Amino acid sequence: MSKNIGLYIYTGDGIKDAVDVDKLVELATGELNVKVAKAVDDLYSESAASMIESDIESEELNAVILAGYSPRYEFDYMDFPGVYLDKVGLRELVAWSHQIDPEAEDAEAQKEHIQELAEDYIRMYVTKMEKVEMPEPFKLEQINNRLLVIGGGVAGMRAALDAAEAGYEVVIVEKEAELGGNAKYWRKQIPVGPDYSSLASPVVDDLIAQVEASDKITVKTSTEVARTAGEPGEFRISLKPAGTKSEWDAPVPLTEEEKLDENGKELSAEDQKKKYEEKNEGRKDYMEVDPDAEMFGAVVLASGWKPYEPAEDEFPHLAWGNPNVVTNFAFEKMAKEGRITRPSDGKEVKTVAFVMSPGGKDDDADFPYASAVTSMVALKQAKMLREDQPEDGRAYIFYQHMRTVGQYEYFYKGLQNDPGIFLTKGAVTEVTDDGAGNLTVNVEDTILGENISVDVDLVVLATGMVPTTKDDPVINFAYRQGPAFRDLDLFGGYCDSNFICFPYETRRTGVYAAGGVRRSLTIEESMEDGSGAALKAIQCLQAVSEGHAVHPRTWDYDYPDFYFQRCTQCKRCTEECPFGALDDDEKGTPKPNPTRCRRCGTCMGACPERIIGFKDYNIDVVGSMIKSIEVPDDDEDKLRMIIFACENDAYPALDMAARKGHTWSPLPRIIPVRCLGSVNVAWIKDAMSSGMDGALLLGCKYGDDYQCHFVKGSELANRRMENVAETLNSLGMEPERVKLAQIAIDEYDKVPEIINEFVEEVVGMGPNPFKGW
Amino acid sequence: MSEYTKIKPDLDFVKGVMDAGGDTVNRCYQCATCSIVCPLSTEDSPFPRKEMLWAQWGLASKVSGDVDVWLCHQCGDCSAYCPRDAKPGDVLGAIRANAIKYYAEPKSLANLLSTSKGIISTVIASMVVVLFVALIWSFVTGESWPIPKGTVEYHKFLSVIPIDIIYLSLAGFVAWVSYKGVTRFWEDISKGAGLGESYTGTAPRPALGPLFKEYVVPAVKEILAHERFKKCGAAAERAQGHLWTLWAFIILFIVTNLAMFYADILGNLFPNSGFHSPLALYNPIKILGNIGAVMLIAGIWMLKSMREQKTEEGIFKSSAQDWNLIWLIFAVGVTGLAAEIFRLIGIRIIAYPTYWLHLGCVATLFLALPFTKFAHLLYRTTAYVFQRYAADVKAGEAGFGMELPGEPEEEH
Repeated sequence: MSKNIGLYIYTGDGIKDAVDVDKLVELATGELNVKVAKAVDDLYSESAASMIESDIESEELNAVILAGYSPRYEFDYMDFPGVYLDKVGLRELVAWSHQIDPEAEDAEAQKEHIQELAEDYIRMYVTKMEKVEMPEPFKLEQINNRLLVIGGGVAGMRAALDAAEAGYEVVIVEKEAELGGNAKYWRKQIPVGPDYSSLASPVVDDLIAQVEASDKITVKTSTEVARTAGEPGEFRISLKPAGTKSEWDAPVPLTEEEKLDENGKELSAEDQKKKYEEKNEGRKDYMEVDPDAEMFGAVVLASGWKPYEPAEDEFPHLAWGNPNVVTNFAFEKMAKEGRITRPSDGKEVKTVAFVMSPGGKDDDADFPYASAVTSMVALKQAKMLREDQPEDGRAYIFYQHMRTVGQYEYFYKGLQNDPGIFLTKGAVTEVTDDGAGNLTVNVEDTILGENISVDVDLVVLATGMVPTTKDDPVINFAYRQGPAFRDLDLFGGYCDSNFICFPYETRRTGVYAAGGVRRSLTIEESMEDGSGAALKAIQCLQAVSEGHAVHPRTWDYDYPDFYFQRCTQCKRCTEECPFGALDDDEKGTPKPNPTRCRRCGTCMGACPERIIGFKDYNIDVVGSMIKSIEVPDDDEDKLRMIIFACENDAYPALDMAARKGHTWSPLPRIIPVRCLGSVNVAWIKDAMSSGMDGALLLGCKYGDDYQCHFVKGSELANRRMENVAETLNSLGMEPERVKLAQIAIDEYDKVPEIINEFVEEVVGMGPNPFKGW
Repeated sequence: MSEYTKIKPDLDFVKGVMDAGGDTVNRCYQCATCSIVCPLSTEDSPFPRKEMLWAQWGLASKVSGDVDVWLCHQCGDCSAYCPRDAKPGDVLGAIRANAIKYYAEPKSLANLLSTSKGIISTVIASMVVVLFVALIWSFVTGESWPIPKGTVEYHKFLSVIPIDIIYLSLAGFVAWVSYKGVTRFWEDISKGAGLGESYTGTAPRPALGPLFKEYVVPAVKEILAHERFKKCGAAAERAQGHLWTLWAFIILFIVTNLAMFYADILGNLFPNSGFHSPLALYNPIKILGNIGAVMLIAGIWMLKSMREQKTEEGIFKSSAQDWNLIWLIFAVGVTGLAAEIFRLIGIRIIAYPTYWLHLGCVATLFLALPFTKFAHLLYRTTAYVFQRYAADVKAGEAGFGMELPGEPEEEH
């Protein structure tokens, strides 16, 4: 499609002082053949918008570039239907980040550098405009709007009720014979409102009644998910009676270890296939369609948590195994059933020691999967004991961490006032039995300033809440990447994928986690979670019906396009997609599931054949931008570098650095990318072959505490750097010319350092030997 | 193997503290602001942080062995600065109130005197006893009973001999109860301070001579000057009223003894020589007595006003016991002065009942000494004495072979 481009250059905020704007206009209308190019003083105004609108009409423009503010600024009035709109941040990337010192000897040279920088950005974005196509939304033929809620506990029931209230049909599947989850074993709940002093009555029965009364909710108890196939808007989910086997159980891929033979060598593809088939005997292939599967649009995963049950030989110093040493879960069940008695002889319990941290003096960590909720539960249970034994009940709480978050501090304060509740930080070193079931607890480093010893009837271990997804996929995806969520070890088995930015999101689009499966939560919080996840699921259905991406690129109507004729079935895209969007066929040709896709472009970055791309973001578009940069052949002061900056963290950090007055070298040119995972090695080759001297990949933090919006992008990019290094070596170039740096969104102060150091290194290596070829 | 101290929190003790005005004790989270701001807290044994913790955990024996509880004059600084509003000042007050009850025997009397009803009953009971003794005495003197005829002279109602019979026996009882209480207190605080035991198995204590010379005299000197009380930040004004009251008691004590010697002994030895009571208004003893009475009323009124104000300001709490003692002392002063005035005016019908009421109040105040808040006179004084003594024992300077083994002195 030929483009009639309109370029509007903002002159304010120091841009016209930094660069010669008239020259930019000249460049655009002359050399670059842009139809309309104007310098505008008040570009970000409604009058400017109507001026552009009339240009669009009179000059038949179909692409508009706003050169001024960072593309991260949005203006409602800059909306031109049918016209491709793009923005380049001349203000941040040129004017603010490159201050000229008029007193300096080389002021003229500085000015020249900055003018060239601005000109290059104009070239790059005009070139981009010529290459891009208008995205067209992907639409499923038919969208199923039913929601599946896995798990009938408080989170699941709340999710179902809220979705039903919003008008959606909901099915709840519950593994147990009745609704209620773990909460049905609770005698009392942690208080839910001011003054936080008394325990609340359980809410679970009321929820069950509401669910049963709703005509939009179908409850299937004693039921499990055998497999979840399809994609958001058309999930095909096979259900089965709980605890049974089914031919539709999702097959499990070979683990990395299983792919090796006894000698540690990788098995041949055929052997692997054989082994895989053996492993999954009796199960249908993951691509096969179950004709009896039920259709759903989105899923709320609220399968909850299991109480941590210590292994038989665990915690011998706490006398685990002694009948009078119980978990908090067992204590709660006992309290619900009636009187709290000693398991060994049925004696009424008057004194209880709650042990919150099992590590004795060496380790102050709490029990596995313990959390603020565990602290609250210990407090609640102490209060329950005191309610049973108001005269002479004694509850000791020995903790290393007492976590009462937010308003719950009032609950803690209230309990402190109870003369029968004794709280101290301390290391529980030993629990012993006198032979008659009377326990003695020894505690060191207490607030009393000495090591103490107390006699109790019962010891309660404040163990944690293990997410059900830790050992069991639960949802059983029939996906190329396997039935479970990926990299669960990173999150201790919790299936949340990006806790801070995108709550409820999992690594599988269309599946939203709520309640104990997401993190340790109180009942009240679980229910809030249920509401949140239900809304996310509904949001997902909305996105699918409109044909745009779910979080984080909700504005994006585009989706990846594959040129299958040239696919070599290398499977990199199917393996690397962070969201498991790609399945494959027998031969290994990828099968896209566009509504699973979040448009990060990791597949595009992975593809060695460069056959994957988006309408406005592909190998050619970015490659052409790179090639449009003017690289002087013979000026050692004017080396050129390319920076690929992740638009989620790195690019905002650049913006902020510029706004805060940080400056950096004018030699590099910056291209925002959706994710470092989308950076294809081809672009680096393009840069080097067009004579540029180095490339810097600026991405988010990866690893355990990753901040990547697409979970794996910068990590994958880092892995691909090895290939890049090899390529550079084979060309006789220093591999250090290409570097990857991690930056968090708030580390704007490090931006100049990172960029300038890189520039200095490249300058030190001298010009690209292939310059000018 | 580490050593572990067996702990069994005494819930009744905690509840007792909470009921006696220390209901905020469990709020304490051990930041120690109280010990820092306390003007009386010592570097070696700061309080009241540790007392708060012990009270929370129901460690009754720790608290009872703690002399520091008695070094507090309840200025309220700790409560004012407490970030969690745990009111350590009130808690210590509650602990002291309970300690007095704990050391007082028989408990029934302590319980009786802990309420205003009980105090009024005791006053009435004392009056009944006085009236009964006066009836018997009227047979000896031939005066009419209960209101003697002629000029108002109280010895007609009850002369010094029956008064001595009543009050000296009462004083003997009070002294015995006080002695028992103070010695038990001494045992406990010695144990609490880790002073060990003497070879007889009791707490170490100095011989009488050194006890007075080295410890009691300096302690009493300090008390008479109210040195510590005056340091008490927010309560410094209260010290003034307390000082007046204390000195009034001392003056009245001296006057009573002088009067006894003057009227009982000289008066009996030399009848008709002017030694008999009532003493003339210009008699120096009488003048001193009247000064004492006015000081007592003024002092206790000052204490009452300050306490009202501080309670209103929330600096500390006031319990029934606090008010009972104030009103009882006030009653003693006012009835005494009124009896004198009515006597001088010569209204028999009012003068004798007033005197009678006065005798009832005085008897009750006597009795109250070891059983009510009045006992702080005993225990705080003992604490002052003990503090000096314990420091000497610990420094190896107390003599009597009670030095604790210490580091040998370095050779120079």
